[in-house]
Amino acid sequence: MKAERFAWWCVLVLVLGLPLAAVLTRSNPEAIELHGRMADTGGWMPGDLTAQVGQPLQLRLTSDDVVHSFAVGQSALPAIDVLPGQWTTTTLLFDQPGKYTFYCTRWCGPNHWRMRGTLEVTGTAAEMITPTTPLYVALNLDLDAPHPSDVVPSEKPSAARGAALGLKADRPVTPDRAQSPALRWQQLRSSSLTENLSDAQVWDLVALSWRSNTTSARLAEGQQLYAQNCAACHGETGRGDGVIAPALQKTLTLPGLALTGHETIAPSDFTDARHRLGASDAIFEGKIIRGGMGTGMPYWGPIFTSEQVQALVDYLWSFQFDQ
Amino acid sequence: MDLIRTRLSLPLLFIGLSALAIVMAPNPIALAAPAARHFRIEASSFQYTPAAIHVNPGDQVTIDLVATDVVHGLYIDGYDLNLTADPGQTASLSFSADRSGSFRFRCSVTCGALHPFMIGKLNVGANDLLWRAIGLGLLAISASVWIRPHSGRAPTPGCAPRTSVDDVA
Ligand code: HEC
Ligand SMILES: [Cu+2]
Ligand SMILES: [Cu+2]
Repeated sequence: MKAERFAWWCVLVLVLGLPLAAVLTRSNPEAIELHGRMADTGGWMPGDLTAQVGQPLQLRLTSDDVVHSFAVGQSALPAIDVLPGQWTTTTLLFDQPGKYTFYCTRWCGPNHWRMRGTLEVTGTAAEMITPTTPLYVALNLDLDAPHPSDVVPSEKPSAARGAALGLKADRPVTPDRAQSPALRWQQLRSSSLTENLSDAQVWDLVALSWRSNTTSARLAEGQQLYAQNCAACHGETGRGDGVIAPALQKTLTLPGLALTGHETIAPSDFTDARHRLGASDAIFEGKIIRGGMGTGMPYWGPIFTSEQVQALVDYLWSFQFDQ
Repeated sequence: MDLIRTRLSLPLLFIGLSALAIVMAPNPIALAAPAARHFRIEASSFQYTPAAIHVNPGDQVTIDLVATDVVHGLYIDGYDLNLTADPGQTASLSFSADRSGSFRFRCSVTCGALHPFMIGKLNVGANDLLWRAIGLGLLAISASVWIRPHSGRAPTPGCAPRTSVDDVA
């Protein structure tokens, strides 16, 4: 008799307990479920989200294949790992309306960077921030024109050596961020100030003027952003030999992909003086924001804040100039 | 009878001693001075290159893990060490190989369909057991070839090896 009672209790507990447990573990019924998938098999599901200024957006994240990570472009929110077979909950709050991009920060294949979605935030902010116009737009620069340098240093210029020369060689008071190091070198070379200096020493002065335009903190930030977002293609040493580079070239030589002619398909080699010293902050910045438009270089405009782009640009010069 | 026994036990003694030597002899490689060893392991879906690394006990081992397509990991059984590398961000790990034997390492990051099969091996010390087993096997073969003719019925002095089967029976 007793055993039978006990069995009935067991059945009862099971029948009532299971749905109850399911409800309780889903602590947040109104949270939106967001699935991560490699870009080749669909990317984020759903690919666009909406939210309202000042209203928390709750998300439950999981991955359908490999490890991904969720981050919102131009926001201070730290990236959240999105793991297969696991649910992670997060709450977002926006104080500026606009069209945000959410994206994956863990490399999940050659098309990893295409794993992006949009997040439309509506409403009005107490204080509207107007975005600044990037320099390449203001100056109407042609980002796709090749920019070789006629002059190259015989060894890697060093800002420290330049500083040791004891000359004032800062860039013009309002930093002319559209000027290339090659032009700057020619300017300095023809100045009477550098009469007694060798060509290499003038290059050291150029390195110094680029270094004096940034800070150690900004370089450190740029280095970190570079390692996470760029090194897989451009290489940890900046030589354009990143681990993804071979796969990238393969996808780009697929038939049907229209290349207009002058693009380099291999990721740029930032240590190549001939091809970089003719560029400028404005060109690097423009390339990062706008991307290569079909060359395989992603566009980072919706991802990074203008400070982050500047940090990256400053760091890219360290492949040309020693500190 | 006595004669047979002495004739038999001398080679037996020799074989026994050899067997003992094979089993107990210190491994000359294991005595090598510990050194710093550096390995670069490339992880791609779904394999490690190289898939096996050999070190000597006591070596200071450094492993650079380079993920070439997606995020991969490397977990070494027995040493309980874990490493995760994102493409573009080489990850490094250093440890002292103070436990000898053969240890599996496996990917610790879900990296796709064949992820569970992404494995490799860390060998600390030469594969002693294998070599000793081969030594014992060879010894057994030569012993059987040698003893057989000696254990014959007739203690013929200076006997030539005879191979007929009924001899043994
Ligand atoms: C998926 C591969 C890939 C990633 C990731 C990538 N790049 Fe590129 N990048 C390229 C390719 C390919 C080129 C050459 C084609 C071009 O200029 O459009 C290039 C070119 C560039 C150039 C132009 C250089 C010049 O002198 O014209 C800059 C600057 C640049 N990348 C910066 C970055 C930065 C900064 C990041 C990280 C935030 C990054 N790239 C991430 C593939 C990549
Ligand atoms: Cu991803
Ligand atoms: Cu793996």
